[in-house]
Amino acid sequence: MIDFLDQIETASSYIKERWDRPPRVGIVLGTGSGQIADSLQIDLKIDYGSIPFFPRSTAIGHQGELVCGSFSGQAVLAMQGRFHLYEGYPYEQVTLPIHVMAKLGIQRLMVSNAAGGVNPRFRKGEIMLIESHLDFMWKTAPSLFAPDMTHGTGRGQRCADSSIDPPLIRLAEEVARKGNFVLHRGVYAGVLGPNYETRAEYRMLRNLGADAVGMSTLPELAVACKYGIDVLACSIITNEANPDELEPTTGEEVVEVAEVAAGNLLEIFREGMNASHATQ
Amino acid sequence: MLHLFDQINEAVDVIRQHWKGQAKVGIILGTGLGSLVKQIDVEATIDYKDIPHFPTSTATSHAGRLVCGKLNGLSVMAMEGRMHMYEGYPLQAITLPVRVFKAMGCDLLVVSNACGGLNPYYKEGDIMLIDDQINLMGDNPLIGINDDRLGPRFPDMSEPYTQDLIERALRIARRDDIIAHRGVFVAVAGPNLETRAEYRFLRMIGADVVGMSTVPEVIVAVHSGMRVIGFSIITDICFPDALKPANVAEIIRIANEAEPKLTQLVIGVLADEK
Repeated sequence: MIDFLDQIETASSYIKERWDRPPRVGIVLGTGSGQIADSLQIDLKIDYGSIPFFPRSTAIGHQGELVCGSFSGQAVLAMQGRFHLYEGYPYEQVTLPIHVMAKLGIQRLMVSNAAGGVNPRFRKGEIMLIESHLDFMWKTAPSLFAPDMTHGTGRGQRCADSSIDPPLIRLAEEVARKGNFVLHRGVYAGVLGPNYETRAEYRMLRNLGADAVGMSTLPELAVACKYGIDVLACSIITNEANPDELEPTTGEEVVEVAEVAAGNLLEIFREGMNASHATQ
Repeated sequence: MLHLFDQINEAVDVIRQHWKGQAKVGIILGTGLGSLVKQIDVEATIDYKDIPHFPTSTATSHAGRLVCGKLNGLSVMAMEGRMHMYEGYPLQAITLPVRVFKAMGCDLLVVSNACGGLNPYYKEGDIMLIDDQINLMGDNPLIGINDDRLGPRFPDMSEPYTQDLIERALRIARRDDIIAHRGVFVAVAGPNLETRAEYRFLRMIGADVVGMSTVPEVIVAVHSGMRVIGFSIITDICFPDALKPANVAEIIRIANEAEPKLTQLVIGVLADEK
């Protein structure tokens, strides 16, 4: 544990030495958030490879840079490219950037991901706000149980999904109404992957109450919760997992569909930034 | 996963020293397919311990060697004895033989297992064609940096078991008057058998049978682009509200009784592969 705390400290200092604005918001730019990346005013981009202890992103559609800059007029840290458990990284490494962003002072985290639509009413290219989740990732995070991780600021033992901020959900829904696009609310099932689900697995997840399924985000939410960071998490529905008429899915297709939803996601995140302005 | 490519090549090199055949079909002889090996015109037998990177098997009633030869004229490689997650092997080690099959030229994987029946229409000794699977093992053999030479990062799983082959097996079963179902196999890590509550849960999530193998091998076969056919022998019936303690000797007896029927089905399916 001491080692991991050192890693957080060292990585945070490395970033602080190069960029000394205090970020209030952190963003994880998942599959299909290219437009948000384009809208950032960039002060500095740091390659993950040069930040001490950061792993390298190996997934399709993910670059590997930490973007330091402004979004909607506020200082922001944005992860362009994230880490996944299926890449073989331990839980600590997957979540190290969130720990570092917390250390650098973020109070809000906005996350996007690509997900398979399990709810039969969901269509490709639509966005779902994650309201709660089911954890099928089978991994535990020892670091989450260490009392000294949060430097006295955490909210302790709250379950991870309660870090999803209800006012932010309502705000996002308002954005969707004004922008006239479909926005769902639902339950995200996190699985380990990396293979896509079988028909039987989609049926199981549906029966258990999932609306969408993906291979990321839950570790990030868990860490954010530990630090008491409020979260807005969006899934872009990139394929319709209808188990009775299942069509093959490829990683490239998922990336393509996700780009279609990027404009709507941009509007939601922009508004999320402004809301954080208002509460300061 | 980047270490696998070299491991596969090293294993293939050693196998080629013993056997010059052009393999078409890879077979994992699980419980209930042991006697299929007697039908093979054996050209080479290699102990797992002599093949680099092959793990060795410790499970009850499983031997540990690779049998290469002809099954009714078709070139096959058969694993006599398989490895399980509950023995403590990493899934990448368990599934290495499947990648070796592929590297040796196999484009079809045949797997079998013994399993517990959850579907109330199933009886002990029945055979089930695996139509689909649920992975509840809590692990995946594809974890790690993907090696694009071996397969895609995110393999599609909309048809892990080749539907044409299932139809073919079911036709043979009807013709030969063998009881054969078609259902969903759920894999758990084991090694304890399930509690009554777990049996109810597994039935509720859509499983027809439950076992502790097969799913890792099938994920890797799909990743490698192989066709797959899978057979389960229902060796005990798991009705949660009338559950009897499992008896390993009885399970093996039922598997042995079903063996001739399963062998007949496999030979029938492979007859059309030539």
